[in-house]
Amino acid sequence: MPQGLPQRDKDSRFALLAGLAVASFGVVVLGLLRLQVLQHDELARLSDQNRIRLDVIRAPRGAIRDRAGRILADNQPSFDIVFRPAPIESTLRVRATIDREWLRRVTGAIVGDTNDVRRKVQEANRTGQTAVLRRAAPYAVMAAVEESRSDLAGIDVQVAPIRRYPAGPLAAQLLGYAGEINDQELQDRADKGYGLGDLIGKTGVERGYEDMLRGVDGAEFVVVNAMGKRVTTLEEGPPRLPVPGRDVTLTIDLSIQRALEVAMAKIERGAAVVLDPRDGSVLAMVSKPEFDPNEFSRGISFDRWKDLNSNGAFPLLNRATQSAYPPGSTFKVVCMLAGLRAGAVDPDSHMPTACNGGFWFGGRRFGCWEHGGHGSLNLVDALQHSCDVYFYQLGLHLGLDPIQEMAHDLGLGDRTGIDLPAEAKGLVPTSQYYNQHFHTGKWPKGVLLNLGIGQGELLVTPLQLATMTAVVANEGHAVRPHVVQSIQGQGSFKVPKPVEPGVATSPAIWETMHLAMHKVTLPGGTANASRSVPGMNVAGKTGTAQNPHGKDHALFVCFAPLENPTVALAIVAENCGHGSDWAAPVAGSLFRQIFLPDTGNVQERTLHPVVAPVDSAAD
Amino acid sequence: MKFRLPPLDWPLAFATLGLIGIGLATVYSATSVPGAHQGLWAKQFLWFVVALGFAWIIAAVHYRFYDSISWPLYAASLVALVAVFAIGVERLGAKRWIELGPLQFQPSEIAKLATTFVLARFFDHARLDLRKLRWWVPPLFVTLVPFVLVAKEPDLGTASSFPAMLVAMYFWAGMPASQLVLGLSPILNVMLFFLTGSVWWFAGLFVGLLAWARPRVVVLVAMLALNGAVAVALPKLWNHLHDYQKRRIETFLNPEQDPSGSGYQVIQSKIAIGSGGVTGKGYLKGSQKALAYLPMRHTDFIYSVVGEELGLLGSLTVVLLYGIVVFRGYRLASIARDGFASLMAVGITTALFFHIMVNMLMTIGWAPVTGVPLPFLSYGGTALIVNCIQIGLLQNVALRRREY
Repeated sequence: MPQGLPQRDKDSRFALLAGLAVASFGVVVLGLLRLQVLQHDELARLSDQNRIRLDVIRAPRGAIRDRAGRILADNQPSFDIVFRPAPIESTLRVRATIDREWLRRVTGAIVGDTNDVRRKVQEANRTGQTAVLRRAAPYAVMAAVEESRSDLAGIDVQVAPIRRYPAGPLAAQLLGYAGEINDQELQDRADKGYGLGDLIGKTGVERGYEDMLRGVDGAEFVVVNAMGKRVTTLEEGPPRLPVPGRDVTLTIDLSIQRALEVAMAKIERGAAVVLDPRDGSVLAMVSKPEFDPNEFSRGISFDRWKDLNSNGAFPLLNRATQSAYPPGSTFKVVCMLAGLRAGAVDPDSHMPTACNGGFWFGGRRFGCWEHGGHGSLNLVDALQHSCDVYFYQLGLHLGLDPIQEMAHDLGLGDRTGIDLPAEAKGLVPTSQYYNQHFHTGKWPKGVLLNLGIGQGELLVTPLQLATMTAVVANEGHAVRPHVVQSIQGQGSFKVPKPVEPGVATSPAIWETMHLAMHKVTLPGGTANASRSVPGMNVAGKTGTAQNPHGKDHALFVCFAPLENPTVALAIVAENCGHGSDWAAPVAGSLFRQIFLPDTGNVQERTLHPVVAPVDSAAD
Repeated sequence: MKFRLPPLDWPLAFATLGLIGIGLATVYSATSVPGAHQGLWAKQFLWFVVALGFAWIIAAVHYRFYDSISWPLYAASLVALVAVFAIGVERLGAKRWIELGPLQFQPSEIAKLATTFVLARFFDHARLDLRKLRWWVPPLFVTLVPFVLVAKEPDLGTASSFPAMLVAMYFWAGMPASQLVLGLSPILNVMLFFLTGSVWWFAGLFVGLLAWARPRVVVLVAMLALNGAVAVALPKLWNHLHDYQKRRIETFLNPEQDPSGSGYQVIQSKIAIGSGGVTGKGYLKGSQKALAYLPMRHTDFIYSVVGEELGLLGSLTVVLLYGIVVFRGYRLASIARDGFASLMAVGITTALFFHIMVNMLMTIGWAPVTGVPLPFLSYGGTALIVNCIQIGLLQNVALRRREY
C-alpha cells in the first residue's frame, strides 16, 4: 500500500479483505455441512452401493415430411443389445468380458460375429462408453438375452429410436438414410458432441440437413445394482431431458413422387426429376434402381453392404444429382436459343445444306438419325424433327462461345446448388478446356458439329436438365432447385438465390422456343407420346445419347401446361434406346396420373396450380 | 549474546507446515490403492524438501531486490510464455510446460510472480492517483498480456488468478471499493445473465450500485453505455451460438449436467465427502471403490479424500489452516514496512486465496471443474515449490517489517 494512505483507511481496507476471506471460507463450511451432515445418510448409502452410472437418453431425430405433411421418415423404438463397460477400476469385470466363455455365450445369444463383439467390447472398456452389440434385435434374440442376462456381466437391453421410412424405397436416394456413426465421422465431427453409437445422416436429406434433424441427447444419473441393472434415478443432478430434432418438410409431393415411380416402372436404370418451374421446388425425384433405407436402420451386414455397392447398378447413387450423362438432342434447345439470342438465325432460317441423311465435313460424313433425310427445314421444324444435319451446321455457324455461354446461363455444366450433398458438376467444355486437350487454337472444328447435337464431351445431370427446362418454361427467369420447403421452428426459411442469373432476352425468342418445343409433342414430332392429357399442351424435347458402353440412353425434357407451366421435368433412361420410345412415354404416363387422377377432369386440375407460388424465388 | 528467533510470522509458518503435512499424509492414502500412482508420496516428500530450500532462499534475499528486477523478470516471463507455444510440452491437450534438460517448469507460474512484482512496483508510487487514466490503465495491460497468453495454453484456472490479483491490488492501492465494483460491473452483468437468464436482475443491481458509487458524469455515461451494450448484445449473441457452443457454456456453468465426464467426477466427489460424515471413515479407510471413481484423487480432488477419511473435523481443520494463511497474508500486508512489500503481500495472498477457493468449491460441487490444484495439498512438484516461494515472500515481508 502506498505510504500516502492514512492508517485508518489501511485498517478499514484490511477489515474488508479479512471479511471477504471469512465469508468465502464460510461458504465452503456451509457446503461441507450440507454434504457431511445434512446429506450424509443418503450419500453414505450411495457410497456403499457405489453404483452410479450415467445413461444417455436418446433424442428422437426430426421427421421428414412431404409438402402435404405426409410422413416420409420418422422414428420407431428398437430394442438394442448393449454392453455397458464397468467402472475403470473394476479390473475383475474387464477381465470377465474378455473371457472366452463370456464372449462365446454373448455371441451365441445375440447371434453375432465373435470378432465384431470382441472389438466393440474392447473399445467400450477403453473409452467407458456404452457399445451397441446388436441394433433392433428381433424378439427371439431379446428373449435369449433376457434369459441369460443375470450372469452375463455388462449386457443390457436398451430402448432407442431408429429410423423408419414408411414408404420403403420411395424416393430413397433423395431422403438418404441414417445409420450408426463411423470412426471417420466421429473424428470429423468431434467438436459437435457426437458419441459412439450415435445415429447420423449418411446421404441425401438425412445428411444435408443432419444439423437440423439431429436432436440433443439427454442424460441421467442412475443407480444400478451389482449386476448393472438399473434400480432408480439419482436425485442429485436431475436428468437432462433430450431435445428432439427438428422436423423437415420437403417440397416433394408424395402423390407426384408415386406417379413418377409408377411411370418409371419399366426402366431398370435411370433418373427423373420433376420441378415446379415457378420456384424451383423439387416435386419428385426418382433414381433407379432403388434400395430400401429401412435396411440401414436395422444395421446392415457387411456382406449386404458389399452387395449393394458392387453389382454395377449402384442403387445408393442418386443418379438424378450425382450422375452425368451426355444430353443428346435435348441440347438442341440450348443451340437453338443460342442462335436466336445471337441473332444468327430466326424461326424461318434454313441452313445452306439440306438434310439427305448426312453431312460431309472435313472429309468425314456426319449422319442424321433419319437416314432418309429431312430435306430443307426451317429452325422450328428442325427442332420438331430433331434434324441433326441442321444442328451440325448451326453449331458450325455459331462457334463454341455462344453455345457454351447459353448452356452456362441455363445452368448446365455447373452445380445447381440444390440442398443435397455430393452433387455432380457435369461438363460443358469451354475453349479453355479444348485448348488444354488439344493444342491451343488447333482443336478440330468437328467438336462444334458434335456440340450442336449434344454429343462429344458434354455431360449433364438429370437435375441440370430439369433446371434448364424450368428456365426455358419461365422465359429465362432462373430458379434454384431445392428439396426443403420449411424447417420446424425456423419461421422464415429462405431458398438461396439461383447460381446462374438466368437468360435475359426478348419475349419473341421465347415464343418461338415454346412453339418449337410444343410442336415436338404434336403428331409428327418426336415426343407425341408425352401429350397424354386431352386439352393440355406440352412443350418438350427428346434426346438419344450415344453411349460407348452399351445401348443408347433415352432422354426427354418437357414442361406443361404450355401456357402456364407448373411442371418441368427431365427423364434419363439408361441403355434403353430412343428418347421418343422410352423417355417421352414416361412423361405421358406421369401427366395422365397427375392431371387425370381418376375421372379425367382436366379442367379442374389445370386451373388449380399444383402448388402455391412462393415469393422468395422472386428476389 | 542471547539467541533470538528470527521475526518470522509463526502462525503462517505453522499453518503452512500443517497443510503440507496433511497433504503428504493424504497423498499417501490416496495412492495406497494398488495402481500406477503407488509410492508418489515419497516423491512428494522430496519435492517438499526442495520447496523448503526455495522458500528459505527467497525469504533471505531482501524484497527490494525483487522490486528492482521486476520489469526484466516480467519481460523474461512473457518471452517464456510465448516460447511455450513453440517448444512447450503438450499434456492432456494443453501446452503449459517447458523442458530444460531434466527440469520442467511452467512459465505461467513465473509470470504470476513477476506480474505481482511489477504491479506492486507500479502502484507503490508517490504520485499514484487512481482517478486518472494514466494510473489505472497501465496495470490493466500489464495483467491482460500474461492473462491472455496463459488462457491460450489453455490454462483457465491459473489465468483467472491474474485478474483476481489485479482487482485486489487496485483495492489495496486505494481505489474506492464502490468504483472498483462499478468498473467490474460489465463482468457482473455477463455472469448474472448466464446465472439468471435475464438482463433485468443486473439492471436492478446496477441502479443500486450507481447510487452507492455516485460516479462522475463521464464515468457514469461510460458505464451506462458499456452495460447497455452488453445487455443488448448478450441475448442476441446467445441466440446466434450453435447448440453445441451453448451446451459448452451450460456445462461450464452446470457441470453436473455434463454427460461427458466432469459431472460424473463432481458427483463422485460429493459422495466421497458426504459419506465421510462428521468423523470420517478413518485414515486409509476411505472406501477404495469410491475413491477409485475419482481419476484425480491425489491431485485436483484431494480434498474429497480428506473429507471422506477425516470427515467434517478433518475438512474443517484444513479450512481453518487456510484461513490462517490468508488472514496472516493480509495482516502482513497491512503492517508491512513499505508500499512495495505491502502490495506484494496482497497480490500473493490473493492468488493463493483464489486457488484455494476455486478448488474447494469445485470439490463440493459449487464451482465448475477447471483443473486447479489445491495449494500445499495436491500432489505436484511445481505447484508445491511455487506455493512455498509465495510463503517465502510473505515471510520476507515479515522478517523486515521492523527494519528502519
